[in-house]
Amino acid sequence: MKILVPVKRVFDYNVRVRVRSDGSGVELANVKMSMNPFDEIALEEAVRLKEKGVATEIVAVSIGVPQAKDTLRTVLAMGADRAILVHATDDVQQDIEPLAVAKILAKIVEAENPQLVIAGKQAIDNDMNATGQMLAAALGWGQGTYASALEVSEGAALVTREIDGGLQTLRLKLPAVVTTDLRLNQPRYVALPAIMKAKKKPLEEVALATLGVDIQPRLTVLSTVEPPKRQAGVKLHSVDDLISKLKNEAGVL
Amino acid sequence: MFLNETQEEVRATTRSFVNAVVRPAAEALDREERFPTEIYDEMGKLGLFGIAVPEELGGPGFDTLTYAVVMEELSRGYASVADQCGLVELISTLLVRHGTPEQQKMLPDVMSMKRKVAYCITEPEAGTDVSGIRTTAVRDGEGWVLNGGKIWIHNAPVADTGFVLARTDKEAGNRGMSIFIVDLHAKGVERGPKEHKMGQRASQVGALDFQDVRLGPDALLGDMNRGFHMMMSVLDKGRVGIASLAVGIAQAGLEAAVDYAGTRKQFGKHISEFQGVQWLLADMAKDIEAARLLVYSAAMKIDRGLDATRACSMAKCFAGDIAVARTADAVQVFGGSGYIRGFEVERLYRDAKITQIYEGTNQIQRMIIARELLRKGATA
Repeated sequence: MKILVPVKRVFDYNVRVRVRSDGSGVELANVKMSMNPFDEIALEEAVRLKEKGVATEIVAVSIGVPQAKDTLRTVLAMGADRAILVHATDDVQQDIEPLAVAKILAKIVEAENPQLVIAGKQAIDNDMNATGQMLAAALGWGQGTYASALEVSEGAALVTREIDGGLQTLRLKLPAVVTTDLRLNQPRYVALPAIMKAKKKPLEEVALATLGVDIQPRLTVLSTVEPPKRQAGVKLHSVDDLISKLKNEAGVL
Repeated sequence: MFLNETQEEVRATTRSFVNAVVRPAAEALDREERFPTEIYDEMGKLGLFGIAVPEELGGPGFDTLTYAVVMEELSRGYASVADQCGLVELISTLLVRHGTPEQQKMLPDVMSMKRKVAYCITEPEAGTDVSGIRTTAVRDGEGWVLNGGKIWIHNAPVADTGFVLARTDKEAGNRGMSIFIVDLHAKGVERGPKEHKMGQRASQVGALDFQDVRLGPDALLGDMNRGFHMMMSVLDKGRVGIASLAVGIAQAGLEAAVDYAGTRKQFGKHISEFQGVQWLLADMAKDIEAARLLVYSAAMKIDRGLDATRACSMAKCFAGDIAVARTADAVQVFGGSGYIRGFEVERLYRDAKITQIYEGTNQIQRMIIARELLRKGATA
């Protein structure tokens, strides 16, 4: 069974994000970039399925700037067999919207014919949480989102999802799309020899034009602002003060 | 900027491992003076020992610059852990260069830490001046008999295999020493107690005593009477390793100091707003960056096959000196807290001191730099 894992190159989660002066988004030029952490979980799950003998091949795909090749090299070192870069833009600042990403991925799925797509539930840059769902819709496949456990056997996937009331388990007929939640697994560290071996694995570059997908933005960002600074706390002198604050200021009593 | 894509990836990988596993453990390891088997097992699996061992011998086959990057990152987490990596690197370099195919069979176990090694040079009368060693290996049929003693040996309390420098020709000076691979569980080997050190306290250091230890014909590493030269041939790389280790300690101190200065408030504002503190931070940052660049330059010289002796001594000397000076500054930024056990900078200051002493004292490094200048001229 072949598994496709889409990965996104995003600003590193340790980076202090700065809003661009024109409010159009956050600054991405000269910022340390890494693999989206949810995608790392997706890849780890795919590698574990391969280690169990369930999967036979893992293909990773990234869409965006040529620099995403660095991310794909890491993906290959972590255990993917092949990687595909869809060269969609040269502008590091350009974010490709979920609908366009889903359409591009659908084209890749058509060509690669995987039985399972495992994707991060969202990317930590814009938290859209839409690509996996849109891809499933575009393909007409079943979807299991927010997976906290995944079991794959003979033509079906059992996906455990964390929902408000507890855990829900879905049985999906393959092929299907699964998106990963934080608690699905703990991704492994890359072993140093694997970094060297990854250099020899195939990394194919595909030009966007050959896929015939329009990536023109359909959404307009009106403004991007930093979250308000946290206010300092105050010390109260009596219980009465506290009750009055809870009643009149916090409005919780 | 100086690192290629692969070296950056090695740095990122090592850093994520260190942030999650090594740095959080350092305080307890220092307090308990404990040998962290569980961390070394994990490092063995990740290929963090034997960085330059070629692929055909089971290693990742990285260059010296990549080794320097790994050492800095490990040391940023905990210097004792980095020093274990440095020790294994040195031993595996000796095995790769001088070992017989039979001796090289131990490499996988050395790199996974299933077999713990020790590099046994120093004696009470032979520290910086190695020519004073009194340990002897005397021919006995096909093999040798080893007698003598070593002190301050890293890993001595836990090691399985020692690489022991012994005199094999009393009259021949530096051309009369050889390196032997010695089973430290063999009859006649006695281990002294573990030393209690100022810093790098998870590194187990102690004495070894050899009483009529019988060595087989395959115990000799490399050529007879070439031990001193073999030892010297790995010195440059060893110095790059210790220089990187020193940079890593200082870097950890800088990170802690910047963090603390931005949170600690006095007189109603963060202490980072006081120029006196800012100057400390700025001086720390520029010295650390300068040391790092000296390390990179020395490592690149080795990788390109250039004469690296002066560069390696400059890197080791400068990095060791600034590691001590700048971790002292980190303690200063923390004020009274920095003097208290349990605060990272207090440990870093103690861990830094030995980097001016081991792998050739910084006085010796200055002698080497001066000797090179006077022999080869001042022009770089």
